[in-house]
Amino acid sequence: MNFPYGQAPLAILILALIAGAVVGYDALLRQSGPQPDLVFATFVKEHADAYVPVIEQFEKDHDVRIQIQVVEQRALQSRLQAALQVGADVPDMVELMYDTLGVFTKGPIEEVRFVDLTKRVNDTGLIDNVVTSRFGKWTDRGHIFALPHDLHPVMLAYRRDLVEELGIDVDKLTTWDEFARVGREVATKDLNGDGVPDRYMINLPIQGGDALRLLLLQRGGQLFDEQGDIAFDDERTVEVFLWYLKQVQGQDRIAFDAGWGQNLARSMLDGLCLFYMCPDWRTRQFQMDVPQLEGKMALMPLPAWEEGGSRTSTWGGTGLAITEQCKDVELAWELAMHLYFNRKEQGRRFEQTQIISPLRSAWNEPSFDKPNPYFSDQRIGRMYADLAPQVPEEQSNAYMKMAVNRLSEAFANVSLYHREHGEVGLREYTEKEIKRVADRTREVMARNIFLQVDTGESDQEGGGS
Amino acid sequence: MSQVQTPQAVASGVLAAKPSAGARRYKFRKAITPYSFLLPYFLVTFVFFLYPLLYATILSFHMTSGPGVRRFVGLDNFAFVLADPDFHRALYNTAFFAVCSLLIQLPLSFGLAMLLNSGKSRLKGFFRLAIFAPNLVGQVFVAILFTMLFTPRYGLFNRIVHILTGFGLEQRWLTDPRWVMPAVVIAALWLYVGFNMIYFLAALQNVSRDLVEAAWIDGAGPWGVFWNVTRPAVTPVATFVVVVSSIGSFQLFELPYVLLQGYGPKNSGLTIVGYLYSNAFENGDLGTAAAVGWLLTLIILTISLIQIKLSGTMENDG
Repeated sequence: MNFPYGQAPLAILILALIAGAVVGYDALLRQSGPQPDLVFATFVKEHADAYVPVIEQFEKDHDVRIQIQVVEQRALQSRLQAALQVGADVPDMVELMYDTLGVFTKGPIEEVRFVDLTKRVNDTGLIDNVVTSRFGKWTDRGHIFALPHDLHPVMLAYRRDLVEELGIDVDKLTTWDEFARVGREVATKDLNGDGVPDRYMINLPIQGGDALRLLLLQRGGQLFDEQGDIAFDDERTVEVFLWYLKQVQGQDRIAFDAGWGQNLARSMLDGLCLFYMCPDWRTRQFQMDVPQLEGKMALMPLPAWEEGGSRTSTWGGTGLAITEQCKDVELAWELAMHLYFNRKEQGRRFEQTQIISPLRSAWNEPSFDKPNPYFSDQRIGRMYADLAPQVPEEQSNAYMKMAVNRLSEAFANVSLYHREHGEVGLREYTEKEIKRVADRTREVMARNIFLQVDTGESDQEGGGS
Repeated sequence: MSQVQTPQAVASGVLAAKPSAGARRYKFRKAITPYSFLLPYFLVTFVFFLYPLLYATILSFHMTSGPGVRRFVGLDNFAFVLADPDFHRALYNTAFFAVCSLLIQLPLSFGLAMLLNSGKSRLKGFFRLAIFAPNLVGQVFVAILFTMLFTPRYGLFNRIVHILTGFGLEQRWLTDPRWVMPAVVIAALWLYVGFNMIYFLAALQNVSRDLVEAAWIDGAGPWGVFWNVTRPAVTPVATFVVVVSSIGSFQLFELPYVLLQGYGPKNSGLTIVGYLYSNAFENGDLGTAAAVGWLLTLIILTISLIQIKLSGTMENDG
């Protein structure tokens, strides 16, 4: 064959044609096959695994076909964000990670591409049966855009065997100050005399992060108030910063930053850290990561900031939203109710995931009272459920991620100041720094003309309806 | 003298006066053929370059909430970015990385290339592959690998530093703002030294042996040979590597983003492209991101022009 442009372009052309034909044929096959009635995307494989039997039953009962897709969280968020805005194909139902609702609600409220569930939540009485505060994470400007999947109360998990060996009575660790004192006097030690401690009281991230945030929530602080204004520049944040700083930095520190996953597992296995912050979702994760510690671990409520104060906080969360492009909103709502707010199903799922549902009646299911051999036969479901009513509320905001980052920035600056100047002027600097980052966040928020009352003048563009 | 008109002449005269449809088609095809060859290029350029460029320009003058909603704000996005401390931090971090690339990475690449070019060892090929290999796996893999290497107490890097110096076992490379960019530079060294070395090695292998031998015979020492023969021969490639490395440095994103699971404490690992990404895909503010894109283009263009001017490559070529 005599191709005028040479053999290499001919080969490339043939390859391109074959590839195009294969891709086109595959797309045609997909189109011509039976289409699911609903597509449901989640970023948590464990959730999807737990939903499979429920969805299979739902499909039989309703004679429909539901497709579950598991997509990595960041990919899910960015693809969904782009697709929703330009009107491209999106799943009918989607699970969102906490703090990400704001990404979709930065524009005018009528431009939010999720179904407004406020009326349905009120009409079905859901608002009375579910821990109401949990809707805060999924509400923007008074509109509920997603249903809460979980409550995520936080406790402290600890090496029971080592703690008992050291003679620490966890029942007496009722306040954070007492916890820190015991940590300093009894737990944190350089065992081999090389100048580096080989045992720390607790695993805490040195840069603050989620631990600092959950402690702030436990203290009664908030990043945003109900009006959507910055609320973290107050005395509570200063107190939490100063306490936390003392535990993670300097001569008297009791914390080691073991990080995540295998590093944390290893540090607990080695006895490098005795305690770590453990929301409900982390119990199952840790059991799988370090099966060797079965029977040697236990849970205790968080120490309170003051005697008699709240013994828990919250960390994380997932919400289920229905997209505006959903093919059958009624069916999606019914499935959502079945997945999230069916009491029996929640009881069964707790056994599988050890995640506490925000549905109050579910806490009476027998699975919540089962002893857990990993955590020294403690009835961990009951322990978490008992703390559930104390879980602090947190408001969703389009600038949540930015506020969290700014708070971390302030903490990093305070840490640096502490390293260079010690305690001298630390409180004043902390106050100033928190105020600075709060004002900076306010400035950025003020730029968003879409969050202001009059949104009528914006030019509408793109394919979204 | 009378003119004899042959049938061919008559026919050609008729054709010249009134070309047939076939001839017109032939002429038309001949005229458009070059353009049809260029059409795919122009189409691709328009769809993937000119249109986005034009659209980005328009966007940079708008406040957006995703691609769906926008409002004209004039130069406000540019003013905001230029005054934003996060952008200043990103600019500083990126410049720090670029300077380290030029002052550490490239000399190291050149040194390794000189070493591999000098000996006649049979292991040369092995070392060439071994040093280049990290580049085959990509930034994300390297970032994940270094996340483990930099782990306080358990990480291999910290353990080796501790064995060698007695310190650094709990060094927090990725959580201490002061050490974040050095950690990124170290990870990038492992990734890019081998890649740039290949360019230098190719340039060194093209240095004329005759010239080198002539220089030796004329009494030049190793330094004299290097300065008067090797250096001028590798200058065009070195300029290319410097310009490409600088552009690459200013486009740094994946490596710190994966290494730090974000931008690091106090945005200590935030780069300009990270800042752009954050605005566009985390904040949904495409207008500000477009303004950042334009500023980044201007920065890269300016630096590249300065480098080309200083190296004198253009003049030599001309």
